Formats: sequence, C-alpha cells, structure tokens
Amino acid sequence: MAARRALKAVLVDLNGTLHIEDAAVPGAQEALKRLRGASVIVRFVTNTTKESKQDLLDRLKKLEFDISEDEIFTSLTAARNLVEQKQVRPMLLVDDRALPDFKGIQTSDPNAVVIGLAPEHFHYQILNQAFRLLLDGAPLIAIHKARYYKRKDGLALGPGPFVTALEYATDTKATVVGKPEKTFFLEALRGTGCEPEEAVMIGDDCRDDVGGAQNVGMLGILVKTGKYRAADEEKINPPPYLTCESFPHAVDHILQHLL
Amino acid sequence: MAAWGERLAGVRGVLLDISGVLYDGGEDGGTPIPGSVEAVARLKLSKLKVRFCTNDSQKSRRDLVGLLQRQGFDISEGEVTSPAPATSLILKERGLRPHLLIHDGVRSEFDQIDTSNPNCVVIADAGEGFSYQNMNEAFRVLMDLEKPVLISLGKGRYYKETSGLMLDVGAYMKALEYACGIEAEVVGKPSPEYFQLALKEMGVEAHEAIMIGDDIVGDIGGAQRCGMRALQVRTGKFRPSDEQHPEVKADGYVDNLAEAVNLLLQHAIK
Repeated sequence: MAARRALKAVLVDLNGTLHIEDAAVPGAQEALKRLRGASVIVRFVTNTTKESKQDLLDRLKKLEFDISEDEIFTSLTAARNLVEQKQVRPMLLVDDRALPDFKGIQTSDPNAVVIGLAPEHFHYQILNQAFRLLLDGAPLIAIHKARYYKRKDGLALGPGPFVTALEYATDTKATVVGKPEKTFFLEALRGTGCEPEEAVMIGDDCRDDVGGAQNVGMLGILVKTGKYRAADEEKINPPPYLTCESFPHAVDHILQHLL
Repeated sequence: MAAWGERLAGVRGVLLDISGVLYDGGEDGGTPIPGSVEAVARLKLSKLKVRFCTNDSQKSRRDLVGLLQRQGFDISEGEVTSPAPATSLILKERGLRPHLLIHDGVRSEFDQIDTSNPNCVVIADAGEGFSYQNMNEAFRVLMDLEKPVLISLGKGRYYKETSGLMLDVGAYMKALEYACGIEAEVVGKPSPEYFQLALKEMGVEAHEAIMIGDDIVGDIGGAQRCGMRALQVRTGKFRPSDEQHPEVKADGYVDNLAEAVNLLLQHAIK
C-alpha cells in the first residue's frame, strides 16, 4: 500500500452495480451524489454490449442517475475502435440495439467477426457461418468474454462461452476488447490524467471488474449485488481490496478511507 | 517414412471411423464417399477383424446403421461402437440422472434412463438443438449442482456435411466448460477408455489394431496414444494442413478408404 497515491478516479460498473436491469440498486443515486461531492473523477465502464451508449444514458436518466454521455466508456466503443484500426468488414453478432454504435461501418461481404452479447444470434446456423469465416482467416473480435450475467429470471450465458466455442473449433484466439482486458481499463482512464494507481474500480463481477482492474494496478471493490454469488471473492488472487454489500457501502468506504 | 510393409506389419484388426471415411453426412442423409462401399466389403472378406468406431451422437445406432445399409454398406448394429449407448451404460452404472442436450434422433438411446430431477448434463451433437435457450437450460442445471457433472459425447471441433463444415459438439462442450468453470468427461474419441472399449469389442490388442479416420486429433492422435497405429484419409474434414500438424503425425496418409484397404490387403496379411 505504500506505493499508492491519493485517489483521483473512481470507475463504476453499471448493470449489477448501479442498477439491475430496470431497477436501481437501493440508495445508489444518493451514493453517487455523495461521491460527486468529493473531488474525484467518476467514469462508468461497462461490458454491456446489448445497448448503445444512448440506450444506457436513457435508462440511467430514467432511474434518476446524474450521468453524462462522455463519462461512459463501453466495450462497444472499444470494439468499434479496433474494427476501424484493422480496416475490416465485420459480421456483427451483436444485439440489434447495439448497432447504432457501429453506424457507418461496412459490413457486407464480411472478413471479420465481432461478437457481443446477442442471444438471438447465438444459435447453430449463425455460429456455423461465423465459424466458416474464421476458418478462412477472419479475425475474431470479442467485445468481452463474460461467462454469464444476471437476468430477472436467473443467470444467463454471456458471450464468453460462445467466443470460447469458436476459438476451440478454429484453434484461434479472439482479441478481447472489454473488461477484464488491461487495455480496456487504460483506455477508460485516457483523458482523465490519472494513473491506474490513482483509481479504484467498483463492480459485481469478481474476475472481470475487480480482477481486471487490480491487474493494471487499480484497487478493486466487489459489491454483493447483481451477479455476485457467495464466495466469489475467493475466485481471484490477490483477493479484492474490499468486498461490501452494495454500491452505497463502497462509496462510504471510499469517502471515509481513501480520500 | 518406412515402407508400407513395415508400417502395416502385424495388423489384425481395423477400426473404421464412419463420418468422413464411409460417407459425408447431410440433410438428405448424405452420400457415400466414392469407393468406400466396396472397400468395406473387401475388408470384411479378408482375415482382418473390422469394427466401426464413431463419434456420431446425432443419430441412434440403429438409425445410423440403417442409413449406411441403404447406401449399400455391409454393416450391422453389433459392429458399431458409438458414444450414446456407451454413455447410457455409464449413467446406469453411476446412478446419474441426466439433463439431455441432444438431438431428437438419438433420444431413443436414453429411453431406459431416469431423467427426473437431473444431477448431471449430457451433451451430444444436437445440431439445430444448439439454441441459446437450450444451452442456457443446460448451463442452469450445471450451476445449480453442488458438484457439476458434464458428460460430452465426443469433443470434435467440426465435421463435414454436404453443405459445408459444421461446428461439432466439442465447441458447445467448451462453451459450457468455460461458463461453469468445469471440465467435461468425454465419452468418445479421443478418450482412451473409448478406444479401449472398441478394441475390447473387436477382440484385438492395441498394438495389432489400426484406426482409419479423417480427424487428425480425434482419430489419429487419440488412437496412437492408446498404442494403436492410425491412417488419415484425405476425405471428410481432412484439410491439407493436417499433414503438417504440430503434434500429431499419422502412420500414413491415404487419399480415401479404398486406398487404405488396398494397402492393408497388400501388406497387413502375409
């Protein structure tokens, strides 16, 4: 801990941490206000691949969170950046609602596969098409590799298992752009003027939020909401800097101990 | 490479893969690979013992054999080692009650198995059955178990149908393994227990047996690890890069089953 510097930035996960689908985590709006009262930069980082930035903002506004568009960094943004950099035409296995974030990208006669959370595309025929493109040498870009996520009706498979299926079948490795990749966390801090050692990440996914952030040198706080299941904090080594009940508790800890 | 005579010396039994060696599957039932019907017939007329060893988990053994017979193959149910009946035995032995993520075509193999209140998941090549919803159901069953048991009928990456290459059960098995952080038990090639079962059923020791298949890892690598020899055919899912595979080197590469049988009849039996 001696090498740590004063806290300057707080990264906050959205679904499972601030809200669970269309319901805010109790007390989260108030907690965010308290956090904003302190002199820290707040960024919202999410692997939510179903929705465009605009959708995310609309939902957050409806839930009365005080958040602006330029504070949000998503894995879709990161994927689009990579597609443009590689100059490829992707087959987009993403939810229709995410398509606005790829506006202007050429997708006919595809020579790449971009895979996000798209349950309606994750079936035999479509996966076979993607598989054949990959065998022909198309790169596989995964927006993230989350194992599962929490829905109102229970746990549901994330994109990770399907990315893994395609990797195994074609003996290739996907380029992952979302959490827990190091580049994701570094990109999210870009423009804030903060180093990872000056940042803390709050999330409900032990590996992807907390483990990923701690791997680049941030502190990680695991909240027991959303997809959290008992003993999740034992899944990573070193363990989370802190595990607490929910986002408001995490904010209290930051205000009392890290500032 | 050594001469064929040396490579095939002492072979007494032949294990034949089915899909990609005998025929290419497809929606219309598929088509025999040219020369394979005659090759099987010639092999069975010889002194060599013959057994069929498949990872096909989409069809019941009876349906598979019926399909091959209609294409002209000399084959009967008792000559086929296939993963569904082998799994059915394992489930009974261990008192497991499976949630089945399988194709309707193979369901009859599990008629005698109790599937209420499942305590494991069995995954086979479900084809169109690999929907998100079905995968999710299997995932939830596994996540609700204290000790999740996943049994996979083979772990092939892909296979060839007349319409092109198709993802095989292995890809979906990996998906569930990754989602749940577990490792599946594989019933099928390349699992050593499965090859040993086939050898036992054929009544030939590993060092006197040769596998003929189109899958460099599942057929060739798997058989060799059990002490068998193995030939890869350049039909089915064969890709030219297989001949430079970084880990597996077949005891020989042949254009098709017909060529393999020619060589065996010429060199194996003296």
